[in-house]
Amino acid sequence: MTRDNDYISKQKFMQELESYRKGSVTRRHFLNVTGLGAAAAVMGAAVPGLRPSPAFAGDIGDRVIVATWPNYHDPENFEAFTEATGAHVQVNVFGSNEEMLAKLQAGATGWDVYVPTNYTISTYVEEGLIEPLDTSKLPNYDGSAFDARYAEAGSVDGTLYAVPKNWGSTGMAVNTKHNDGKPISSWKEFFDIARDKFTGRAMVHDYQLTTIGSALNYYGYSFNSVDENELADAEKLLIDVKPHLFAITSDYQPSMRNGDAWLTICWSGDGKQLNTDMPEIHYVLGREGGEIWSDYYAIPKGAPHKDAAYALINFLMDPQVNAKEVLAHGYPTADARTFDLLPEALKNDPILFPAQELLTPLEFGAAATLTDPNRAELMARFKSA
Amino acid sequence: MTRRTRNWLLLAPAGTWFLVMLIIPLTVVFIFSFGERAPAGGVVPAFTFEQYANLPARWAAFKNTMTLAPIGTLSALLIAYPLAYYLAVKSSPKWKTILLVLVIVPFWTSILIRSYAWIFLLGGRGIPALLELVGIEGVRLINTPFAVLVGIIYGYLPLMVFPIYVSLDKLDKRLLEASSDLGAKPWRTFLQITLPLSIPGIATGCMLVFILLMGEYLIPALLGGGKVFFVGNALVDLFLQSRNWAYGSAVAVTLVVVMLITVTVYMRLINRLGASREDVSIM
Amino acid sequence: MRLYAVCVYLFLYIPIGVIALFSFNAGRHASQLQGFSTKWYGKALSNPFVMDALETSLIVAFTSALCASVFGTMAAVALQGIKGPIRAAFDLLIYVAVMIPGIVIGIATLIGLVTVFDQLNPLIAAIWPNGFTPPKLRMGMGSLIAAHTMFLMALVVIIVRARLAGMDRALTEASSDLYATPMATFRQVTLPIISPAILAGFLLSFTFSFDDFIIAFFVAGSETTLPIYVFSSIRRGVTPEINAIGTMVLVVSLLMLITAQLLLQRGGKKQNDSR
Repeated sequence: MTRDNDYISKQKFMQELESYRKGSVTRRHFLNVTGLGAAAAVMGAAVPGLRPSPAFAGDIGDRVIVATWPNYHDPENFEAFTEATGAHVQVNVFGSNEEMLAKLQAGATGWDVYVPTNYTISTYVEEGLIEPLDTSKLPNYDGSAFDARYAEAGSVDGTLYAVPKNWGSTGMAVNTKHNDGKPISSWKEFFDIARDKFTGRAMVHDYQLTTIGSALNYYGYSFNSVDENELADAEKLLIDVKPHLFAITSDYQPSMRNGDAWLTICWSGDGKQLNTDMPEIHYVLGREGGEIWSDYYAIPKGAPHKDAAYALINFLMDPQVNAKEVLAHGYPTADARTFDLLPEALKNDPILFPAQELLTPLEFGAAATLTDPNRAELMARFKSA
Repeated sequence: MTRRTRNWLLLAPAGTWFLVMLIIPLTVVFIFSFGERAPAGGVVPAFTFEQYANLPARWAAFKNTMTLAPIGTLSALLIAYPLAYYLAVKSSPKWKTILLVLVIVPFWTSILIRSYAWIFLLGGRGIPALLELVGIEGVRLINTPFAVLVGIIYGYLPLMVFPIYVSLDKLDKRLLEASSDLGAKPWRTFLQITLPLSIPGIATGCMLVFILLMGEYLIPALLGGGKVFFVGNALVDLFLQSRNWAYGSAVAVTLVVVMLITVTVYMRLINRLGASREDVSIM
Repeated sequence: MRLYAVCVYLFLYIPIGVIALFSFNAGRHASQLQGFSTKWYGKALSNPFVMDALETSLIVAFTSALCASVFGTMAAVALQGIKGPIRAAFDLLIYVAVMIPGIVIGIATLIGLVTVFDQLNPLIAAIWPNGFTPPKLRMGMGSLIAAHTMFLMALVVIIVRARLAGMDRALTEASSDLYATPMATFRQVTLPIISPAILAGFLLSFTFSFDDFIIAFFVAGSETTLPIYVFSSIRRGVTPEINAIGTMVLVVSLLMLITAQLLLQRGGKKQNDSR
């Protein structure tokens, strides 16, 4: 790396960020030009996460296996980790929390680190599938640096089981071109327009929490309700909407992009990506509520490479490393130390960091939704209807 | 070493393998199908027919599978037969091998990636956009049963072409010549000689495709947009979303029983049609 | 007739063309063309996760195809000389193994093995010498290979048996009349005759295993095969990287196919020459 790369003007940075988001430059190019890559280059030796610490004192083994979501990490961070510790990072990707829980329950162990969402953690604790975390092995973790809202689900009964990775919201993405340039702003409008003007153009997620939750929001019920009558209403709505839906899928970006679908339940990071490339697609939060969520790092019980798991989580907790992660996946971090390192444009982004009054009605998913047999069976009936 | 011991030794690995990887797992599924769902998912042992009583809740999935699997098999047969006939009887020997290989090559790309290509082709920017150019508007293809059918035909065509090709290729060409020498019209030659002789191939191809279709999961999941639901999709959801092992096991047992009955009846019919069982089971 | 064939080939190849076309997309989405670029090939090749998944898939496919060919051929040869209940039992098992949908094999193997492991693991721990960590049985590459081998073995038995059935019995009889040991008869008479069938069985098994998603989805434990990687990428937005992978796998297998064909032709010629 030449010296020229060490400095970059703010304007140039914005240009680069924009073209990186549009996909016209690679991440490596972006990081090099903006100097963020320099951090990675010296990371092996310089960052605190990789200084010899108790977790690194011994040999941590040659591998660590991570169960996570697709496109959720910066591969260069993992390379840097391997370089520093000798442990290779093997990544497995999952489609939903339900699937992750199902596989762990089925005893499909072998993962060292996994990425559960807030509402699942207490169930893992009850099922005895998760390991309490030893903070002395995570010197980079500073509980006080995190916004408590996005960190509290990691502790159950005062014991720390998981540390926050990043958070996001679940709202809806709407292509305003087909609605006279107007976005919509509530789940009521979502399901009404889906059966009317947008028939055959709307999509809902392929797992219970957000799809049933949004249908509950339609009636003004709690996103997390497990009340039988309220669920029956939600089921009626969903089955009524089903023939009008374009698809039931959690991979909604392609059909939003090619114009087949105009409306979808959407995660904020995807909403951001869609809006950046196609400004007519707006990301909005439902007025009645919706989901706010936080993903965590945790270690499943029986992890075969526990030392390496601690080393990796500790490494990813390092603000410099985490900032690179945020640039890669585009979701907001709850770590104030990392937040300070992010470019201004990202910090002020209205999609990623919505105004407080918009966030207020949102709810964190509740553990009960995950284990409630009625919600699971409702989703299955909706899909097979 | 006697012949007996030798045969035992030769059979031992396969036998053990079948015991551990087939008999034991299927027995466990059978036992679990009489159990109950554990509160957090999984199964608690019990002896109840509750799961079987609940089967009508997946009626739509069975109905979709039992209609689209035979339709898909027949469509694949109708498209594959003329091609197999062309390859075996009409194409020049020089090109034959290459043309055959070309049928199998798409098979080498993951079915996942190929189905993804169809998502594009059947989506708004694909075939419907072309149709709009010629004035046919508002055609919806993706996420319909039709899209699933196209995916099925595309995915399983080679499996249908090959057995039919093999049976037609074995056919003695002199028979056809004799038939036309005797003044038979081409379609009569076809109906009375070619078609009957190719029945083993047709039977094998149909059975192969039908079996695979009955357990299909990926094509409906990718091209049906979650709206065209097969038993396979219901099973994946039961094990990976609702984590209801007991009910899932009951659905799995029912699927296997339905298949055993269908395929056995089918084989009987074919055998009556004159193809020997040995022929049918040659893949 | 020829026109019809051309149409079917177009049907077969247009989607392949689309895959290849989008692999050169400059944009990051597999459904929106945004200029030409080969960067996704570089990305795929330098993506350690893709390479890991590919390696896993190759190991699994090769090992299970090999096991299936060896054990399947052994069983087919033995079954040739057996009648009675054992033969009937094996026929039934092979019939069931081939007929049961992959998804049921996947689910049954998962819950069957998990249940068995739950019983066995404490036993192993109990008999293991103190001071050593006892090994723990778990789902992973082993269970995946075992599950693939199971149904591929049935496939190989069927293919090889068909060849054996077509074999002239007089050949083996002649061989033993000439006082050849059974082993020598097998090596010098039977094997050369059935070897094309074994090879076909191996190749078919390799393809099935390499392309299998649904069984692996359930029994691969923490391993990621290439189809599992592709599937999970599809679920949250595909980049042309997936198209690049697909195109490369296709080109490599085509090259292998052509090489095999050339080798076979040359081998065939040599054999003809030496006769």
